[in-house]
Amino acid sequence: MSALHPFSLLAIAAALPAFAWILPAPGGGLATATLALVLALVPDVRAGARVVRVAVLTAAPFWLFLLLLHDLPTTVAMGLRITTMVASFAWLVAALPPDRLVEAMVARGWSLTLAYLFAATLSAVPVLKARARRIVEAQRCRGLSPRGSVANRLRALRALALPLVLSALHEVDERALALETRGMGSGVHRTPLAAPPDRPLERAARWALLLLCLAAVIWRLA
Amino acid sequence: MALSRALAFDGVAFSYGNVAALSDVSFEVAAGERVALLGRNGAGKSTIVRLVTGLVHPDAGSVWIGDWDTADLAPEDLARRVGSVFQHADQQLFARTLREDVGFGPRALGFPAREVRRRTDEALDALDLHAHAEQHPYDLSPALRKVGALAGALALEPSLLVLDEPTAGLDRAWRARVADALREHAERGAALLVVTHDLAFAAETLERGIVLDRGRLACDEPLERLLTSAERLKPLGLVPPPIAALSVALDLPGRPVRERDAAHTLARVAGGRSAS
Repeated sequence: MSALHPFSLLAIAAALPAFAWILPAPGGGLATATLALVLALVPDVRAGARVVRVAVLTAAPFWLFLLLLHDLPTTVAMGLRITTMVASFAWLVAALPPDRLVEAMVARGWSLTLAYLFAATLSAVPVLKARARRIVEAQRCRGLSPRGSVANRLRALRALALPLVLSALHEVDERALALETRGMGSGVHRTPLAAPPDRPLERAARWALLLLCLAAVIWRLA
Repeated sequence: MALSRALAFDGVAFSYGNVAALSDVSFEVAAGERVALLGRNGAGKSTIVRLVTGLVHPDAGSVWIGDWDTADLAPEDLARRVGSVFQHADQQLFARTLREDVGFGPRALGFPAREVRRRTDEALDALDLHAHAEQHPYDLSPALRKVGALAGALALEPSLLVLDEPTAGLDRAWRARVADALREHAERGAALLVVTHDLAFAAETLERGIVLDRGRLACDEPLERLLTSAERLKPLGLVPPPIAALSVALDLPGRPVRERDAAHTLARVAGGRSAS
């Protein structure tokens, strides 16, 4: 799957949530959510299982709040759509190396700044996760228990969230400076070192996906 | 509280999945002892730190903090005896002021306000941080934040202090201050286990060297002897610090590895020569 051109991966990850919202509920949402979760399991089931777990755990609170606010059919309809969105994004993060996306975008003549913005968003998830783990470990070694009463857990959350957000903001500053000094904002068109190959069949498939989406919209509006 | 044995590794093995990180590692650190944990990247040093702090538990063997077996304890329980500063310690500060952050550990362990204040003041004093005590941690440089994190560990008044690269990014003056604070802490009976690639700092501050090589204990001996044998250090990926190399090159009596000792020895040797 990761051998596909980055634009193809992006197209799949965008098309699935689009179909989830366009197609009638709950069948459409069920099909797209299942497809997104199955995609995550291809080709490495063990790594895919981790992606599925992340997607399910992220989607679970949405289901809970939907159930509190709506009736069961609405919860199922909305929940499946949200699960599709979350699972597609989790699959994309796992399947698409950000540097390949940057190469592909630059090869297509996109601005490097925009390409970096996409890539940074994708790469932020594992980086923040690793940093959060480090901070939790450090706070536990300072005597903070993340278990026990609600007050304890809230205190632990504050000790995790604040340094995570502050250090991330601090890093954004430093990264911006580093990118500027490396000529990011010069406006000069760059030549990618190893542009990912974009096969005609993949290009055709991407167009087909787009047309299919438009057809689905027209069918639903008719 | 001074325990005669602050830390003991007894036949410890640990793996990350299929990758063995430590195999049959055994050593003890006595109360008040200052130990450097050395070795090339990937030798298993950080795994030792994670085992000592209770973040991971051994696959085989046992790790003892005094008379506590870490197998049954979580990091927050071990914090009563183990103070730790990790490589990215500057990222862990979160309070509104450095003073508040330094006092976080004692507060989390449930000490009364007066005791928290005493420990915080002493830790800030030890590292000469009073001038920065009311500043927001993120208004400080990363190096100062790291020193602040060390103050937070000192405020726990642990019987064992475990530090991972405490001098990385510090200038000479802060490095000297950290060295002084660590020596003072050890004089009060606490043991130090310091992971470092800075052998000059190790020579000045610590007394014993444990070297790991591919997850196994390669050497465990006084630093003065270890740092003056370049031929043994080289295969372990280590290079003797300049003072140790100089004292070997000049064949100084006693082969000193600390600046002050080398200066005294040189003065004595030079005085002897001029007298003759």
